[in-house]
Amino acid sequence: MRVGLLPNEGGGSYRFVIIALAIVGILISSLPVIVVTIMSFSAADNTGFPPEALSLRWYWDVIALFTADDASSAQSVVDSTLTSLLVAVIVMGISTFVCIPLAYALARGDRRIRGGMELLFTLPLVFPLVILGIAFLLIAESLRVDIGIWRIVIPHVALVLPFVLRNCLGAMNGISVEIEEAAVSLGASPLRAIWDVVIPLMKAGILAGLIFALIISFNEFTITFFMYTIDVSTLPIWMYSRTVSSLDPSTLALSVFIIVADVVLIVLVDKLIAGRASLF
Amino acid sequence: MSIALSRSRALAFSLPALIAILPFLGACFYIFRFSISGDKGTIDGYSIQPYLDLMTPFFGRSVWLTLKLAFVATLVAMLLAVPLAFLLTSLRSPLARRCLTVTILLPLILNLLVQAYGWILLLGPSGVLNSSLRSLGIIDRPIFLLFNETGVLLGLIQTSLPLAVFPIVSSVRGLSQEHLEAASSLGASQWRTFFDVTVPLLRPGLFGAASIVFAFNASAFAIPLLLGGRRVQMMGVAIRDMISPLFNWSGAAAAGMILIFITLIVLLFSSWLVRMTSENVRH
Repeated sequence: MRVGLLPNEGGGSYRFVIIALAIVGILISSLPVIVVTIMSFSAADNTGFPPEALSLRWYWDVIALFTADDASSAQSVVDSTLTSLLVAVIVMGISTFVCIPLAYALARGDRRIRGGMELLFTLPLVFPLVILGIAFLLIAESLRVDIGIWRIVIPHVALVLPFVLRNCLGAMNGISVEIEEAAVSLGASPLRAIWDVVIPLMKAGILAGLIFALIISFNEFTITFFMYTIDVSTLPIWMYSRTVSSLDPSTLALSVFIIVADVVLIVLVDKLIAGRASLF
Repeated sequence: MSIALSRSRALAFSLPALIAILPFLGACFYIFRFSISGDKGTIDGYSIQPYLDLMTPFFGRSVWLTLKLAFVATLVAMLLAVPLAFLLTSLRSPLARRCLTVTILLPLILNLLVQAYGWILLLGPSGVLNSSLRSLGIIDRPIFLLFNETGVLLGLIQTSLPLAVFPIVSSVRGLSQEHLEAASSLGASQWRTFFDVTVPLLRPGLFGAASIVFAFNASAFAIPLLLGGRRVQMMGVAIRDMISPLFNWSGAAAAGMILIFITLIVLLFSSWLVRMTSENVRH
């Protein structure tokens, strides 16, 4: 007999309480996103619930927002979206590029060093983002030169490193030394064995790390809130400055685009690392 | 064989990542150096004045509020995370499992603004909750849930829930089936098995998850800013206010050091608890 943590039948009050709490958890997780999605289809100008009629007008508004060439606003939504994407892609590239060799060195190297290094690269995960934002702002302000987009890229790289490294390490764990030894004994140089044998085997983990870096950087708000300037600003900052006084339905439609993109990417990550590693 | 990684090659492989994390370490040091600066606006000399200046009832209230909200949010998140982890690990259908994973993970990753919009639409005076309750005739006047502690608390629970669920999922996967079977074949009820077998076995994972959730909640910034307004001065928001209207950089740095100190204490305390309890389990 298989004794589950969640009995399929019977179980009385235990099963009821566990299921009820799980449902509350699911509701708390999903309700805000669901409500944003419903309200974005409202035909009304205000955000009263329930919407009296449904329409796509706010979606057309968003598309108009992106296609109108209105040069009057200093920082348009198109500029900030492009900056967001550019930052996310650079962050994704750098973090993956540095984490692959590190994951290899940690998996094959000294066990004692591994623990310490893993701890070091987990630090940004628990470090208060506000403090990080202020610290990076202080450093950027004290520099004599304008570092442009890098003022956002550099903090974002630190922020995504834990996630990318975790995925690369998870991928390395499944690769035994024997495969590499086989390649070397067949005449490949050790570097060549890494490039031709290990990296292709790590592919799923590397891809999952890439996507993680992309979504985290693209959605990051707190650090960017301190670092943005008039010239370098991202989409979340644009949304914040637009809704700081009141909530406007076209921002909700824009939010739905972001939600859909995020869901698609998370499903991809989940597929890539299915069952082999934990998400973080 | 030349597979064994030489020290120099291991260093060469680690170097790019160490360079990438260097700005972060620099930022940590910079904030510490600023917090003991003699001047409010620049790094100049040494002084503990920034810390002494924080000894005000206002900042004390902010620390207390931060600890209180983070603690309650962590407690609720853990209470919801354990059943969610059980559900996630016992789902048979891959599709259902994937849907649940996405639902739980999304709040951690999705733009915090979008989630704040969701809560504003849900809890606002003409929001979903108030209109539903009013049309059911339960209330006459809207109840205020936004821009006070309730709204912030809900937001914190929602965004930190994934940080609790996924570590617990990995602990649950590591749970040995034999223990549960033994308990149930000896006639223990479901509740009895849960409290006497499952929870003690999961305890190290639970403490680990709770400490990360607490650290995350204590240092929250966007959620209290967007859902609490100026009324709920958690430390993150209070620190921002020291900079933005007041330009008290050294004070903000000192307050930041206190926040880091609090999260560090909690993390160390919980890793100590984990070590204590996992020793107990082994005996």
